[in-house]
Order: sequence, then structure tokens, then C-alpha cells
Amino acid sequence: MTDEKTIYDPEGYRGILRERLIKDKIRTWSKVSVKKGEAYYEGLLLPRSQHTDDDYVTLKVDTGYNLGILVDEETDIKEIGYQKGHYKLPHVDVEFKKELPNVTLLGTGGTVASRLDYRTGAVLPAFTPEELFSAVPELITTVNLTPKTLYQILSENFRPEYWVKTAESIAKEIESGANGIIIGHGTDTMCVTGCALAYFLRNLPVPVVLVGSQRSSDRPSSDGPRNILYAAQLAGYENFAEVVISMHGTPSDSYNLVHRATRCRKMHSARRDTFRTLSDIPLGKIDDSGTTWFKDDVSPRSNPEDFYLDAKIDSRVGMLYFYPGMNPDLLESMVDLGYHGVIVIGTGLAHVGTDVYPALERCQEEEIPVVMVVEPLYGFAQLRVYETGRDMLARGVIEGENMLPSAAYTKLIWALGHTSNLDEVRDIMLTPIAGEITNRESPRGFMIMQGIEPGIDQILKNL
Amino acid sequence: MIDPNNLDFKKLGFHAGLEVHHHIISKRKLFCNCPTILEEDPENMEYSFYRYFRPVLGEMGDFDPGMLVEFEKGYKVIYLANERNTCTYEMDETPPFFPDMEAIEKGYILSEYFHCTSFAEEIVVNRKQYLDGSITTGFQRTFISARDGWVPVNGKKVRITNLHIEEDAARRVNWDDTSSRTVYFNLDRLGFPLTEIITEYTDVETPEELLETAKQIGRVLRISKIGRRGLGSARQDVNISISGGDRVEIKGVQDLDLFDVMCRNEVVRQYTLIELKEEMLKRGLTKDEFEHTYVDISHLFQSETKHFAVICPKMKGLFGLEVQPNKDFGLEIFEKSMLITGVPRADHYHSDESDVGFIRENSDYPSNLGIDKQLYEKICAILNPKENDAFVVVKGSEKQAMHALKKIIERIKMALDGVPQETRRFVKNGNSEFLRVIHGKDRIYPDTDTPPVVISLDTIEEITRDIGRRPWEVFEELNSEYGFSQNKVDLLIRDEQLDSFYKFTTELNMNAHLAYKLLIDIPRENRRKDVIINEEIIERIAELLASEIIIPEQLNQVISLLSKNKHLTDEELIDRLDIKDLSSKELAAIVKQKIDFIGKDKLQTSEDEQRYLPKIVALVLKECNYSIKGQTVVSLVNSFIKEAI
Repeated sequence: MTDEKTIYDPEGYRGILRERLIKDKIRTWSKVSVKKGEAYYEGLLLPRSQHTDDDYVTLKVDTGYNLGILVDEETDIKEIGYQKGHYKLPHVDVEFKKELPNVTLLGTGGTVASRLDYRTGAVLPAFTPEELFSAVPELITTVNLTPKTLYQILSENFRPEYWVKTAESIAKEIESGANGIIIGHGTDTMCVTGCALAYFLRNLPVPVVLVGSQRSSDRPSSDGPRNILYAAQLAGYENFAEVVISMHGTPSDSYNLVHRATRCRKMHSARRDTFRTLSDIPLGKIDDSGTTWFKDDVSPRSNPEDFYLDAKIDSRVGMLYFYPGMNPDLLESMVDLGYHGVIVIGTGLAHVGTDVYPALERCQEEEIPVVMVVEPLYGFAQLRVYETGRDMLARGVIEGENMLPSAAYTKLIWALGHTSNLDEVRDIMLTPIAGEITNRESPRGFMIMQGIEPGIDQILKNL
Repeated sequence: MIDPNNLDFKKLGFHAGLEVHHHIISKRKLFCNCPTILEEDPENMEYSFYRYFRPVLGEMGDFDPGMLVEFEKGYKVIYLANERNTCTYEMDETPPFFPDMEAIEKGYILSEYFHCTSFAEEIVVNRKQYLDGSITTGFQRTFISARDGWVPVNGKKVRITNLHIEEDAARRVNWDDTSSRTVYFNLDRLGFPLTEIITEYTDVETPEELLETAKQIGRVLRISKIGRRGLGSARQDVNISISGGDRVEIKGVQDLDLFDVMCRNEVVRQYTLIELKEEMLKRGLTKDEFEHTYVDISHLFQSETKHFAVICPKMKGLFGLEVQPNKDFGLEIFEKSMLITGVPRADHYHSDESDVGFIRENSDYPSNLGIDKQLYEKICAILNPKENDAFVVVKGSEKQAMHALKKIIERIKMALDGVPQETRRFVKNGNSEFLRVIHGKDRIYPDTDTPPVVISLDTIEEITRDIGRRPWEVFEELNSEYGFSQNKVDLLIRDEQLDSFYKFTTELNMNAHLAYKLLIDIPRENRRKDVIINEEIIERIAELLASEIIIPEQLNQVISLLSKNKHLTDEELIDRLDIKDLSSKELAAIVKQKIDFIGKDKLQTSEDEQRYLPKIVALVLKECNYSIKGQTVVSLVNSFIKEAI
């Protein structure tokens, strides 16, 4: 990256200002002076970020602050110095310790630690062992951690093929003797990936813990370091073998909850304790004093020889969110476009308006499975209660029990990977595989740890 | 110790700079829509949560040393919050909202008041890291409004290097126990828009100049009506250095009256630390001589808790040096060790405390380890110090005590470099205590959550066009035109009566001194008697005076009538004033009577006349029920007296 063209590329600058910077040989990262009437500024010329105004330069001044200045014809701008940045990470000797469990961290893009480039303000994900162990040194003494990068993508850019590749990588690590796996993942679609992995990894012998950070890891208040430490603890030491999500349980740095991926959902756009187990209680919690299991149906670690990967998929599956006034042509067009299966999120017990019936009939004729799940998220799809529901069943829809939308979506992709026979698909969809369907619904699944904070009584009293 | 009350600041190379933090009046917080309301009882709150903070790796893969010291303190931070003024933004559970434009605009207006030449034409929000828990995110969001301004101070310009707008931090509650590892913050203040005004510290050379600089800045905040009033709305941090010393930041000085003692005590501290360094060099000390060898001497004490000691070679007598009034160098070190490790300073001891009349004896924090002569000898027998050696003892758990001794040895080594750069906390007796290692500019980086806000120069010009007179311009004018003192001008500014003053003196042609009396003296006098004269009444009186319905002599009566019943019509008012319609003959008779009352014999010289004239006029006015202009009475009395003489 040292050829002249690159150096003189004023990163992010556009239009006339860009031409002027190139003509005057003013580089980003150089020290510049800007004169404009009485005003005089000196500082490092920073690159511009996208979607900002064309005519401004951003300067980092002597106090470390950044500010923007409009550069017009009367503005005098000059390069007065240039200092190249040097990056070198300290070497961290990480010794393999025989007494510690071996855990592999597969990174897909969610960063639990990062380092800050104060000069540019850039946030660089810490992912090499050196970086990770420098940022969270406690990890060194917890487990023998091997970080590997699978992807560097935002979680909304995940695709079903990526779930398969992730599962394959996990299988490889298990076969090489890993005692536990951590998946670093962006939190937005962490649950979706978690569901897919739960179906793909058959007879899972070790824990697979998905983890990320809700507060970016470039800030001192980030939840990332604690999350990764607890994840390492869970993956390395605890006796369970399921795909789980473990993130903060409260806004405090007090404990993390362990959620079964297939029952877990992100319920707040930003909070640390965004993840909730719906229609059930979390599997357990972990804090500095150890792990407490709330449920007794947690699968224990098992013989790795029984483990196999079953990641056959058909990703031609769509998901429709029904709403009053929805034009049935949405569903019709999915048939026209050749979708192999559809998840419909229906109102209440999982209904759609009667004007959608003809489209359901088309799906039935074309043997396209339509799986109904509930818009309220809690509770079961029950189409036998009302006449209209029975009308829907008559048109061949599958009641998705109490599967969450993401659990049903990934499961249909997986089911269609195995068969296109409608009855077989129905069978697979209605058979609980990884806790995505609970055979009974305990009332506490709607009451306990569903966002009710300690001290609620006091708050209500004061309202 | 040199005498704090007898310092030649210029000769010592004293320099001081200010960072004035002042709340800006605004309807909402800077980065969310919560109202700016403080709780009256900051410890009685609806909910709480807690956090731990970690430093973030820098680009070189290492940590900022200042940040590491903060992390070393190992604070658990408990936040207290109320629903009405705290949302998920203050909890650091949601990203920032669009910044408050009102605060941004006020930043530009203030910059114009301070004659700033370089404005930020695009607001770029920065993050400034703090690990002390005062901000839930671990960084403060802050941006520059403008640079390169000044305020006039005693005939010179003190430069304003930067004017920032930023969010305020949370309020610390429970400050009493600085050794505790749990700290409490109330979130109500977090996010209040704040301006930070920074002065060039080489420009101020005496404490008086520092005080005047602070006052000038305060006047701007008041005259512009941008500064929020009330307790806690302003805080000053002061940077102080002397020749051979280093920049030390002292935080939390709320009262300007304390500037003087704070400056003096800091100069003394730096001067003594420089002397100490020279003495250590003279004794041939090097950093290598200090060893982290901690000796367990617990068996000498009747206590379950461990006691450790460490030898400090060639340091005899130096721990006992008085660095600030009633505080020796030993205690100065122990304050730092306490803050970082949590071992109370009373659980620290240094060997100079065995001397007769040692300084620490008079401090607020003597050692409570109970080391008497006998125990001292026993410790010496174990440690076997050489004649010029000193030692330190710390009581605590093994981990904490070791940590404390490590910090103590590190601090002693730093003494060989003189004055360490650090941020200190002002304490009530005028001294200061270690708070944290000074943070570098490296802890500032752009806020990725907030896109830059473009403010063109034209917009800035529009915002700042009608800012009105600056405080020093007002003083200049009122002083040369009416001889007003700075004190008088300050009262007009402080009571926010300047606009009315100009209105009365120009539009209503009122005499400046009368306007001042009406706007400042009378309301203040009445306030002392717990009577509040509202502005409506003052306005009305001004108009009555301007239209000559009443005369200045009737002011007190009018105010008393109107403050009892402000709905009185002009007619009713005049009626109640009970104006005496006196003929000139009748008036002359009254004047004569009053002169007689004083006694003609007392009115022999013009000095007599000057002395008794006001009294006679007052008596006459009272008799006439203030219905006559004072000026008329004066000339009448004058002519009578002349006659008499």
C-alpha cells in the first residue's frame, strides 16, 4: 500500500475538494494548515466518512478533538507535515496448558474485543490471539483458546450457506478434540444461526456457545469482555452439550443467562439484556460464583463418536408477516417465484384473513408447505379453536406449535433439504428436535425472567 | 515548608489555566430527550444497576497508562436512577439521539462573546474516555464549538483556547469513604448540556489574574443568559505549575473565594516536591535502589489482619517533610495508595512518625497502627535499616497490602522526577488529594454513533449576530459614562437587569443612578425583608416616573402600596399617596420650621451646610409627605441658609 497513488488518495473526499487535494498533493493523515479570513486551524487531515458533505475537511487538532471546516475558494489549505502511522502489536506468549480445556472461538463478525486506532478513530476488531488476549487477559488462564476467523460480516448479511459452513467448521473442531466451541456472532441474527446449528449438529457432544456484544467493544462499558469470559467458562467446563446463547441477563454486569438457541429471541434493539427465552425459562445463569442450572432437561456432554453433521438444506424458503389488509398477492407471488416453503406469522392463534384462503389453496395444490407460527411470539399456534382456523387447516397449512419464527424458518429450510414430500415435511416440522417445540407450556414461561426487573413492586407502588 | 502566605508568584514561575464547566440552559439533555431536572434527594431513587469498566486497547495494542490506573482501582460502580429524568440512553442501553440544537447554537453564541476567531463549521462529536464510572458509556461525548478567543484581565488578554459543548457526567454520591471499592453515582445529571471553556495557562501569572479570568467567564455566562443558575451548575478545574514543577489539574473547586488558598497550597506542594527531589539526588538516590521486598511483620501486632513493611533506603526524614499545611510527604503518598488500592490511609505508617512533633500528628488522618517507641524498635530489629533509611508499614489483607506497598514504592521512585503530572481533588481545608493520572489527548476519538452536523459559517453568523454587549464592554461604558464600579455592573449582570437598565436610561430617559436604585437597590433591600418586588411593578414604576405621574421621592411609598396591591389604578395610587398640594408660602414655612428645629446656630459655615442639608431636606420631604421634588426643597433650603448666614 505504499505506491504513490494510494498515498495521495484523499480517502473519502469527493468532488471538487477531492480534485483540489490531489492537485495540491495533500494527503490524508498529513498535518495541514487551514487559513480562512481571521480563522486559522492546524491539525491532521482525517479521511471523510461516506454520506457526509462534500465540501468539508475533518481535522484532528492538537487537543485530540476533531472538527469540520468548509473549504471554499477563499480557504487556503496546505500540507505542512506528514507522519506515517506504525502498527505493531505486542507479542503475547500463549502457552498451551495441559490442565485447561481446549476451546475454539470461531469468529463470524461479532466482535467481543477490539482495539482503537486513536489516530483515525477506527475500531479494529481484536481477533488474533495476541489482540484478544491483550484485550481480555483473563482468558489466558481460563481455557486454551484457539481463535479462528470464519467470516468478517455483519450478522444481517448471513445466508443459509454460511450456517452450513459454520456447522462444518464446528464439526471439524469437535473431531479435532475441542472441549467446547464459542461462536462470535453479531447479535442481530444470532438466534437464527443458533437455531440452524441446533438442527445441523446431531448428537452434539460438547457445548456450542454463541456470544457477542450489545455495546460495541470499543467502549469501556462494553459487555463483550464479560460475555466472552463467561462463554469460555461455559464451553470449557460446564456439563452440557447444546447450542446456546449466553449474554447479559440484566443491565448490570452481574450475571449472564444461558438460553437454548431455539427458544431465544432478541427483544430490544439495544439493551445488554436483549436476549430472552420465550415461553420457557432460560436453561441457567452464570456469574462470578459459577453456573446455576434452572432446568433439568439440559443435554449433558456425550461421546463424540455418536456425533454427526446433518446440514442438508433447501434455502428456497420465505417468511411472511401477516397484517390486516395484507394483499394475498404477496403469497401468490411466492408461489409464482418458485418458493419451496413458506412460514406465515399469523395473528393470535396463527390466523390469516379469509381473503388469503385462495392463495393457501394454491400452495396446497402446488404442494408447498405453509407453516403457521404466532405473531404474539408466546404460546401455541392453535387452528382448531375457531371455525376460520379449521378452514385454514382444511387448506393444508401446518400448525407450527410454539416454534419461534426464526426456529420455524431454519427448520423448514433444513426439512426441505431432506425431503419435498409434504407429509414427511409435516412430520419433521412437528417433531421436536432441539427444544424448538415444548410439549407443554409452563405458565412461568410468560412470567419469569421475561423482562420483569427486581424491584418491580416498588416501581408499581410509586406510579 | 515555605510560607504559603508569603509567595512571590512571578518569581516562582506560577502559571495557571482554567477549565470552566457550566451547565447550559436547555429544555433537554444533549443526546436524549430527558428533561434537565435534578433530584433533590440524590440517594432516594427508584432503581439501580451496576457495572465494571475496562480499558480499551489502543492502536498499538497497549493500554493508556492513565486508563490502566483507573482499571487498577477495581471499582464496582452502582448507578441510582429515576424514571422522570433518566432513560435507557443514560443507562448506556441505547445509542444517542440527535444532539440538542439549542445547545449547539448556544455554543456558538458563547464563542462569539469570547471573541473566538476559528469556528467549527461542522460539529464532529468525539468520545473522551473515563473509567471512573462517572459516565455509563465509559466516555463523554464532546465537541468543539470554536477556538482562539480571549477575555480581558487586568489590562491584558487571557486567551480562550477552546470552547466545547459536552454532556455532563453523573453525580457522585457517598463521597465520604475514598477507600471504598464501591462507588455510587446518581444519573440525573448525566447528559446535561455543558460548556467547557479552556484558557491558555501560560497567560495567567498570579492567583488574582486567575480569579479575574474566572469572573470574566462567569459574567459572560450570566449576561448571555446561557449559563444555568443554581447549586452545582458551575465547576472549575484549575491547572497549576511553577518553574521546575509540572502541570497539575485540581478538580472540583466550586467557590471562587477558595482559588487563592488552593493556588498557594499547590505552589507550596510543588516547591516542596522539587526540594525533595534535590535532596534525594544529593543523597545519591537512584530508582534502582528501591526494592519491592515486603516483609511480613504481622506477629508484632495484636491483630488478625496482616502487616507488611518495606525499607526505603536513604529516605529518613523525607516522609516527614510538610508538603501542604499539616500534611507530610508520607501522607501524600498514602492518599494515592489508598485511592488505587482501597487500603485506608490510617492503615499506613512511615518511620518519620517516630520523631517528636511530627507533622502527620496534626493532620486529619494520623496513623492508627499504634506503633509506639517499643514496637518501632522491634520493627527495626527485623528490618535492620541503615542509619539513613526509612520504612513504611501497611495493614491489610495480603493482596491489598502488597498492592499498596507496590504503589508506594512506585510513587517514591517518581519523587526523583519531581512533581508528577496528575489530576487531584480539592479538599475543604485548601489542600488536594490524588485522584488519577492525567489523561492524555490520546483518549479522544470520534463518536461513531453520531454523524457530523454541518453548520455553515452563514448560519453561525446568523446565530451570533445579535449577541449584545460583552460584560467588559458594558463595564467600559457604564464606568466612563456614570462612574459605575465593577461591583455595580456585576450586580446588574447577576440580577439580569441590564436590558431593563438600558431601556430605562435610553427609552425612558431615566437618570442612570435612579434606574440602578430601582432595578438593584430597592429589590435587594426588599428581598432582605422577604418582600419580592416583581418586574411588573418595577416596569410600572419606571413608566410612572417617566410620565411624571410620580416623583423619585415617592418611590418607597409607591413600592409599598403596589407590593400590597398591584392592581391599583394610577388614580387610586395617587389618591393613596396623599399628596399635599402646598403653596410656595406654606412650603417656605415648613422649610423655615425645620431649619429652626436644627438650630440656626449650627449653620455657620458652608461645611455645616453640607452636613445638615440632607437632614433638613429629608425632614421637609417627610412633612410634605414626599409630594415635592427634592430638588425644589434643596434650592429653597439653600436660599434660607444663605440668608441665615
